Amino acid sequence: MNEDEAYEYVKSTLKKEMITPYHSDELTIVSSVSRCINCGLCINHCPVVAAIGVDRFSGPRSIAVELSRSPPEYWSTADKIYLCTGCGTCKEVCPKNVDIPEIVNLIRARIFEHRPDLVPKGFMLVNEIITEHGLAFEPWADKEEKEESRDMRLEHLGLPFIPDIVKEKADVLFYPGCQAEERAQEVREAAKVILDLFGVDFTLLNEFSCCSLPSRLMGNEIKARELAKRLKNKIKKLGVSKVVTTCAGCTSNLADLAERDDWGIPTYHLLEFLAEEIGYARLTQALKGKRLSESVHISVHDPCHLIRHTSRRIMDYAMDILALIPGVKVTASEAHDSCCGGGGMVSYHSKDVADAVVKENLIALEETGAERLVTPCPLCTAQIESNLFKSGSSIEVDDLTVFLAQKLIKE
Amino acid sequence: MTDSEYDVVVIGGGSTGTAVARDCAMRGLKTLLLERDDIASATVGTCAGMISSGLKYSDEPDIMAMCSKEVVHFNHIACHIIMKNPILAPLLELSDAASDSSYVDSYSAHAEERDVPAMLFLTPEASREIEPMLHPDIIASVYYEEFFIDPFRLCMLQALDAINHGATVRTYCEVIGFDINNNTELEGIIFYNRVSGTTERVSTKLVINATGPWAHKIAKLADEELDIRLNKGAHVILDRRVVNVGITVKAIDGRWIYLFPHENTTLLGTTALDTWEDPDSLVASFDEIEYLLQSIETILPSIRETRIIRTMAGVRPLVPEWKRPEGKVTRGYRIIDHSETGKTKGLISFTGGKLVMCRHMAEAVTDLVCKKLGKAAACTTHTQALPGNDADVDVAALSKDFGISLHALERMRARRGTEMLKVLELTKEHPEWKTTICTCEPVIEAEMRYAIREEFPQTLNDLRRRLRLGTGPCQGTFCTYKAAAILSEELDLGGDDFLVDILDFRAERWKGIRQSMRGEQLAQEELTLGMYSCVGNLDQSDVDYDIKPWEEGF
Repeated sequence: MNEDEAYEYVKSTLKKEMITPYHSDELTIVSSVSRCINCGLCINHCPVVAAIGVDRFSGPRSIAVELSRSPPEYWSTADKIYLCTGCGTCKEVCPKNVDIPEIVNLIRARIFEHRPDLVPKGFMLVNEIITEHGLAFEPWADKEEKEESRDMRLEHLGLPFIPDIVKEKADVLFYPGCQAEERAQEVREAAKVILDLFGVDFTLLNEFSCCSLPSRLMGNEIKARELAKRLKNKIKKLGVSKVVTTCAGCTSNLADLAERDDWGIPTYHLLEFLAEEIGYARLTQALKGKRLSESVHISVHDPCHLIRHTSRRIMDYAMDILALIPGVKVTASEAHDSCCGGGGMVSYHSKDVADAVVKENLIALEETGAERLVTPCPLCTAQIESNLFKSGSSIEVDDLTVFLAQKLIKE
Repeated sequence: MTDSEYDVVVIGGGSTGTAVARDCAMRGLKTLLLERDDIASATVGTCAGMISSGLKYSDEPDIMAMCSKEVVHFNHIACHIIMKNPILAPLLELSDAASDSSYVDSYSAHAEERDVPAMLFLTPEASREIEPMLHPDIIASVYYEEFFIDPFRLCMLQALDAINHGATVRTYCEVIGFDINNNTELEGIIFYNRVSGTTERVSTKLVINATGPWAHKIAKLADEELDIRLNKGAHVILDRRVVNVGITVKAIDGRWIYLFPHENTTLLGTTALDTWEDPDSLVASFDEIEYLLQSIETILPSIRETRIIRTMAGVRPLVPEWKRPEGKVTRGYRIIDHSETGKTKGLISFTGGKLVMCRHMAEAVTDLVCKKLGKAAACTTHTQALPGNDADVDVAALSKDFGISLHALERMRARRGTEMLKVLELTKEHPEWKTTICTCEPVIEAEMRYAIREEFPQTLNDLRRRLRLGTGPCQGTFCTYKAAAILSEELDLGGDDFLVDILDFRAERWKGIRQSMRGEQLAQEELTLGMYSCVGNLDQSDVDYDIKPWEEGF
């Protein structure tokens, strides 16, 4: 055998032994996990453990000291590893900074490669949609129906329609994310309203494609890298100097990708963009004389992908901006930064777990007495909204972008 | 023949002793195994578990051939406790390869029967794809494959299989003398029962001394001289599989050392020092740890960033070839019939040998035993499977059926194969026994209860050998009390026994931790200390406990 044939042979043995070699960019994750001292702080903070107990989900500590130790046996974590919502609370409370969310992705990638039969069926359905459409949700079959749905939403919210713009060399790429692109269209439209109001030179993608986070979360690393590359090429071709999104998951993923793949341009959540690039003075100015009479009592939910995977400062901005709006009273919920259960794609295969996780948020929310909940993430919005509705609560939920757009438009 | 009359008594519950007892029992001999401590509690328990193809022994072609054959046999009789490791031997200089080209040919000569490829050469790029931690300056690497067995389970299964075939296995029975008649014929054996504190005697026609590094001491009890070369080997144990494949490298003194993924840890070994220390209180020295780290560091520069959880040290009972380095001493074994070398008739001792040869050694000595006893029976230890080897186990289906975590069951399967069904049966009547006791490995209560009832442990350390209890990153920080409570309940231990056993278990952990404590393991040890002192008040217990030699100074 020559050296190339030898390498092919070795790869086939590794495949048989179910070993996917750690890549050099994964070594920091592995070494972070080996720092765990088994103190168990994370178990007491894990929202999934709190919701369903350690017998069903053995928790972040067990991922560190038990489930992540032997790559040939990663397949045998399949009954546990998909229950992690990836909220990152464990990493935040960990005295040794163990990166549990990333080791979860690494393990899921190995299961996807070696034991696809153990990957939840719900993931495989999404995987097919992503492969076919480059989107995490099945796109509308009828374009007109999609527009009708959009217009109904805009009318209901009292928001104007700003036509889509696609052009090269704009300052900002507005990237709505799959949820706002296909489902929560009002978020996409509201962001356009805000960007337009402040005269931002923005563009949309000619053809929207997924940021790759869902593929990463389900373990399809190859597809994730392919989507990331596709997106980078589109962004480079447009020649924009910033990317702005309204989705929390996209915010953290785009930031990671921009660094990993050398995009050379910054990425923002719309809230960051407003605070850092537009400024509170212009916001205050724009809010003057708008619907001042209407007072509203709200509470705020902090998306995990913003506070733990990106930066807690984004929610500080959110609170600052809400404070600028006359007539808005904010009462903090005790569970304001607790995972909504919608993360990690858990709801795609174990909806009961996702719904059990959100319960704590619902209870705390009722205690605030707020009439409305706002959150800067369309996925959190959907998860909390449907559970509030099922529980018969009268609290309404708005994506923060939509809420803000409503406050900014003229009476 | 009464209950206390045997055809053969085997001394020593290591890999060789249990293999001999199994072979004797399978050939219909009335067999007793006496072990001073527990099954696999000494030399074999400190080895890397490699059932070596013998590639290091290219000077001894017969031994290489035998090793290879034995690997085939083990894969046939114990596949459920065996894992294959792909291995890279990266080269930094061309001279590294040239000096050892004989390995390549001799390894490759027997590769086919083991169903592995001949040695392969890989480019530096391919090598670093397979193992990104490798030094960027490597020029090539040699690739080969070896098999690894769980040495604790191997010995346990051999002992259990011996019992299944009618042998008696007694642990915690220390041989203290022989009855030798005026014709210098061995007639009986006297031993001290360490559990009951009584002295017992049985009659036997033959005694097989398979006590490894204690062989000369046992021979001395019959007034026989036995020359043996004792050689210390130490390992450093990392918390997880940190490398994708095994790595072998020339150490700073030109010996070969290795870093092997083993179960869910990685073993870095080994050293080789002629030793006269007491094997019971032997610990790895600072020099040995540093020798291993510096040697592997030449090819894996970031090795010190990994987490060392403990060390282990054992003694090789080498054939007494002197005035040559350890690596040049034969890896074969010798059977010493003391009726020929001395005067005692009926006493047979071993020197030398390796884990991979234990079945072969047993076959050879049992042939001799049968000849002496005039018994015609063929060896079947290489054709009859060890318990649990029977078939594949559908772990995923069992996980669903019994509602126990998939990973816990896969670890159990790696210890028990099809025999795991007997453990799972227990959970039907006692669903509460699905509780996880050791959270690192993991081990559930049902397996612990099963092991206590069926595998004759006396202490927590015995349970560790059967279940890997407390061998993970936290080194028994959380499982000790829980496991001790279960053991006490099953064995009806009193409060003081309970505490002494906890102290003993902690001491045994500390034996391996103390020397290597650095980096993250310091934080872990602080937490452990806090748990046992501040929460458990273990430092305030006033039970009668003798401090172990390696605990002194604290």
